[in-house]
Amino acid sequence: MDWFLVGYTARTPDPWELYYLADLNRRERQLDALNKATHVIMIFPLYTDSMPGIVKQFFEQMILRPGRSSLKVGFIVQSGFPESIHSEYVARYLEKFVGRLGMQYLGTVIKGGVEGIQARPPFMSKALYRKFNRLGAHFADHQSFEPELLRQMRRPRRLSPMGRGMIVFFNYIGLTNFYWNSRLKKHDAYSSRFDQPYLSSERK
Amino acid sequence: MTATLINANPFPEDYEFDQALGQLRDEMIRRSDSVSFFLLREMKIRYCVGCWDCWWKTPGRCRHRDDMEEVHRAIVNSRWLIFATPLVAGFVSSLLKKLNDRMIPLIHPYMDIIQGECHHLRRYPHYPYLGLILREEEEGDSEDMDITAQIYRRFAINFHSQLRFVHTHPVNRKEVLRATGNI
Repeated sequence: MDWFLVGYTARTPDPWELYYLADLNRRERQLDALNKATHVIMIFPLYTDSMPGIVKQFFEQMILRPGRSSLKVGFIVQSGFPESIHSEYVARYLEKFVGRLGMQYLGTVIKGGVEGIQARPPFMSKALYRKFNRLGAHFADHQSFEPELLRQMRRPRRLSPMGRGMIVFFNYIGLTNFYWNSRLKKHDAYSSRFDQPYLSSERK
Repeated sequence: MTATLINANPFPEDYEFDQALGQLRDEMIRRSDSVSFFLLREMKIRYCVGCWDCWWKTPGRCRHRDDMEEVHRAIVNSRWLIFATPLVAGFVSSLLKKLNDRMIPLIHPYMDIIQGECHHLRRYPHYPYLGLILREEEEGDSEDMDITAQIYRRFAINFHSQLRFVHTHPVNRKEVLRATGNI
C-alpha cells in the first residue's frame, strides 16, 4: 500500500485517508469513511483462499450499512504463492459483492509471490515496487487500475512445467524454504518444525 | 467414525438452523459416531493476526491461547470436518472465516507442488474430509453458492483434503449420514 501511495501522491494533491480494518475498535469510523469517499481501495493478503476473517466481518457491516451507490471500489489481493489462480475465486466474489451493494467495481489487482518480501534485500523487490508505484500513479490520473498492468501482475496464472520443476529443484536444495528455516532457527524452533501437537496417540 | 461439526451460524434468533444441526449431530451419535460439536458464536476465538508464530516460533501452535485449541485437537483427530453456515454477504459467515484462518497451524509453512500448483506441505499424516452445509440468503442467488463452493474446493487442496459434499439447508440428514458413513 505504501508503494501504491508513493505513486499516487506524486501525481495528485487530492486528499486520501488510510484505515486499518484490523483495528476493530474503529469500525464506525471506517464505515463512516465510506460515506465520505468517492473511491475506496481495499488491500488484503489472501488468507486460506479468500479474504481474512476480519475483512469478511467488515463486509458484513457494509451490507448492514451500505455507503453511497456512487462509490467506486477496487481491491488489491496479495498472496505468498506465485500463481494468481489462488486469488481468482475471491476476486470473483469481490466483484459480486460490490455489485450487490450497488456500487461500482473498479477491479481486483492480484499479486502473487510476495511471501517473505520483508526479508528480501531491497534490490529484489525493485520491480514490484515500480509496479505498485505505477499502479498508484495511474490511479491518480485516471481513477482506475491500469488494465495492462493488471494483466501483468496476474502472471503467472499457473506455473509452467519448467516453473514447477524449478520449485521442486529449489525444494531439493533447500532454497525455497530458506526464508522459513532462517526464521525457525532465529526463534530456536528449527528442531521442532515438524511438531504435531494435537495428534492423539491412536492417530499416530 | 469421528467427525467435527462446526456451527458457524452467527444469528442466535435463527434457532431453526441450530435445531437442524443439532438433529444431525444426534443422529450421527446414534449411529455410534464420535462427534465433536462446536457452536462458534458462543466460543472465544480471536482473529488470526498473521504473525506466523505458529510456523516459526511454536510450530503447530497458535499464539492465541483460546477455544481454538480444542477445535484444532478435534479436527486433526477426525475423519470428517463439516462446516455449517448461513451465507452472509454472499459468503460464509465471518465466524467460519475466522476459524478457517486459524487452521493455518495445522499445515506446514514449507512449499510443495500439489496438483500442479504451489501449496503448503502437510503437518499431520491425515486430514479430515470436508463437508459444507450452506443456507442461501434471501438476497442471494446460486452464484453465491457456486463461488463459495469453489473457494472451499481450493481450501480443501491446501488442507490436503477433499470437499466431499456441499448441501443446502434445510439439510437432508440422510444424505449427510450416507456420505459420511461410506468412508
